[in-house]
Amino acid sequence: MTISSYQMFWIITISSMVTTSYLPIHLAMEEARQDSWLSMLLGGLIMLSITWLTLRVCMQNKDKTLIAFIQDLLGSVLGKILVPVYFLLWFKQLTMIAKGMVDFQNLVMLHNTPMIVILLCMLFLVAYVVYKGGITAISRCAEIIGPILIFVLFVQLFLNPEDMNMKRILPVYADTGWLAIVKGTLSSFNYIVDPSIILMLFFFAENKRTASRAILWGTATTVIWGVLATMVLMFVTGPHIAAQLVVPVYSLTKYISILNFIQNIDAFFIPLWLLAAFVKLSVCLFILSYGISEWSGFRNWKLIACFITLIWFGFNLYSTRPVGDAFTLKSFFLNNIFFPFVYIVIPLILWLIGSIKQRRKHKRQLIH
Amino acid sequence: MIRCFHMTCLLLFLLLTSAGCTDFVEPNQLAFVMGTGIDYAGEEMVEVSQQIAIPSQMNAKGGSSGDSESFIVVSAKGKNVFDATQKIQKKLSRRLMSTHRALIAISEEYIEKYDAKKLFDKLNRDPANNQRDITVLIKGSAKEFLKIKHPLEQLSSIAANKELLINGMSSFTTRQFIIDSATEGTRVLVPLLQIDNDKDKGKDKARLIQSSGYAVLDKQLKIKGILNESEGSGAIWMLGKGTFQGLTIAWKDGNGNLSFRLTHLERRIQSVKGNDPKHILLTVKAQAYLLDNTTPLDMSEADHMMELKKYLDEKIQTDLQDIMNKVQKLGPDIFGIGEYLHRKHPYWWKSQREDWDENFKQIQVSVKANIQIRSTGTSANQVR
Repeated sequence: MTISSYQMFWIITISSMVTTSYLPIHLAMEEARQDSWLSMLLGGLIMLSITWLTLRVCMQNKDKTLIAFIQDLLGSVLGKILVPVYFLLWFKQLTMIAKGMVDFQNLVMLHNTPMIVILLCMLFLVAYVVYKGGITAISRCAEIIGPILIFVLFVQLFLNPEDMNMKRILPVYADTGWLAIVKGTLSSFNYIVDPSIILMLFFFAENKRTASRAILWGTATTVIWGVLATMVLMFVTGPHIAAQLVVPVYSLTKYISILNFIQNIDAFFIPLWLLAAFVKLSVCLFILSYGISEWSGFRNWKLIACFITLIWFGFNLYSTRPVGDAFTLKSFFLNNIFFPFVYIVIPLILWLIGSIKQRRKHKRQLIH
Repeated sequence: MIRCFHMTCLLLFLLLTSAGCTDFVEPNQLAFVMGTGIDYAGEEMVEVSQQIAIPSQMNAKGGSSGDSESFIVVSAKGKNVFDATQKIQKKLSRRLMSTHRALIAISEEYIEKYDAKKLFDKLNRDPANNQRDITVLIKGSAKEFLKIKHPLEQLSSIAANKELLINGMSSFTTRQFIIDSATEGTRVLVPLLQIDNDKDKGKDKARLIQSSGYAVLDKQLKIKGILNESEGSGAIWMLGKGTFQGLTIAWKDGNGNLSFRLTHLERRIQSVKGNDPKHILLTVKAQAYLLDNTTPLDMSEADHMMELKKYLDEKIQTDLQDIMNKVQKLGPDIFGIGEYLHRKHPYWWKSQREDWDENFKQIQVSVKANIQIRSTGTSANQVR
């Protein structure tokens, strides 16, 4: 099962756009008001560097997946203990996006349909794609969905010309100061891109050089879109209202009214977002099941995928009951400890150990 | 064979679920709300009236004929808008749908006695709301306003909406209202409408809607003052919201009148005297078409045209300066000068913004006009 670099670009772009359009803009805007575009830019740059770091780690261990090389580098016991942290991360992404999707649908379009039906439809689709086709099917889907998604998301930002008042973004910096901007960055950067899937997907890439370039381009596209969307949101509504909007991109599409005729085009945006969520969910499920099969030695990862889907379904049903657990976006533990640990600390350690080992091997070769 | 069976089952399942059958509401089960009226109904209570269009009756030619009306008005009292709307829904056989609403009419009394900011939370929170309707204040009862029969349009809310658009005022939507009331440096100017008390037009006792000025609201959305029609159009020009206006001025020594149609209305704010935030220059620009001339001026002479332009500039300047002084005395800064100062002098603004209604009175604003006379019509002088 191989992925070409063109498909890799689309997979990364779609997985990142899904979360960027949903979470970080609101979190940044609460702290940084007018300067949230600066927060998004900073967060994007941080994420770009994290992606670069992850790519360095992957290039050092070209022929193995995360599970294999983490055991190589850190020793099998420590490796076996650290890997479930990543499993938790991917599982959390699965549940967060599925839940967000179902809640959003319930609020906006289908008020009476029970949540189970929506959830079942999506979960069945995702499980089917992973079972029957694996990563090749997912990447082919991404190839087709990607261009449409990017086109619509970018074009929709500029359909509001008469409502945009560029001056609303001023005064830059004076109202908030660097502390607020940094706080905005810290609370939102985790959600802009997802670099951990690269750790697993890189193994499947055909041509490692071009794949790494494609991944960087994908991350850059998402960052550019994130900053543009924040700026447009501010042009149209101004900072006070934008800080209160929970799903800003959706509210932005509701405001579009061209010639008083083309209106309510949020009906286009929602199915496209669902398609993108489908791609991201299937990628996460594939990675999770492949990873678990490697970690536990159980060869049949397709069966594991079905099993995980059942657990996921059960978790989603259960997690909506206690309301406190259901809305954990601002949790201190997640934002400040868990995500940085997984995104930054572990790849740094792996990179350092990898480079030390390489240097030792190099020295040994020189001596002989 | 088995495969065919499986495919059929799957397709049936998909058909039933993916068409969203559980949420489907036919158009003839919907009641389209075209206008909402909000009245004061006692302590902490609000009376909401919804004007619902009856599409089957709207096909009657030439407005309403006989006794059949193309709308009904249903009202109920409740603790807030949602509560009252629930009670209205209980009186109706169809589901209310307010996404096509054209007008939100708030009665003056309600704004005086109740905190209107609480109204706008529902508009922002409920995703079924489309913020493209126009918000106006009504002199009198909003329920009565919704009940009137309009001779030209079939519903009074559509009539009010079109009236504002036709007369060049397009930025009074609810979304603009919310954005302006949330911004710290601007206050809101709302059109004030009333039912025309003239004799009834047509044979069906139809009434027209008349604009009775504009209300200036402060930060707490209380009415600070009311500008009359001419002051209001000047204020709208200075706000940057109108698209065209008509103007009639008297020539020197009472020697006739000149009427213009002003288009491409613009305004610019600058701070002068070495970037001093306390001195502001507001420049208004327009293109003028001369449409009525009963003075002895001959429009084919270039000197006359220059003299006319100078006179026009001065007259407009004095008029607008008077309006500006009047609004400044009232307090609320409807022109967005506070917002300009926020952007240009952000550190100075931090000390001023708390009490901007009072601090605005200390700012010296001078108005300058720069009118470009585009055309003087097809005749040079009066035909005597």
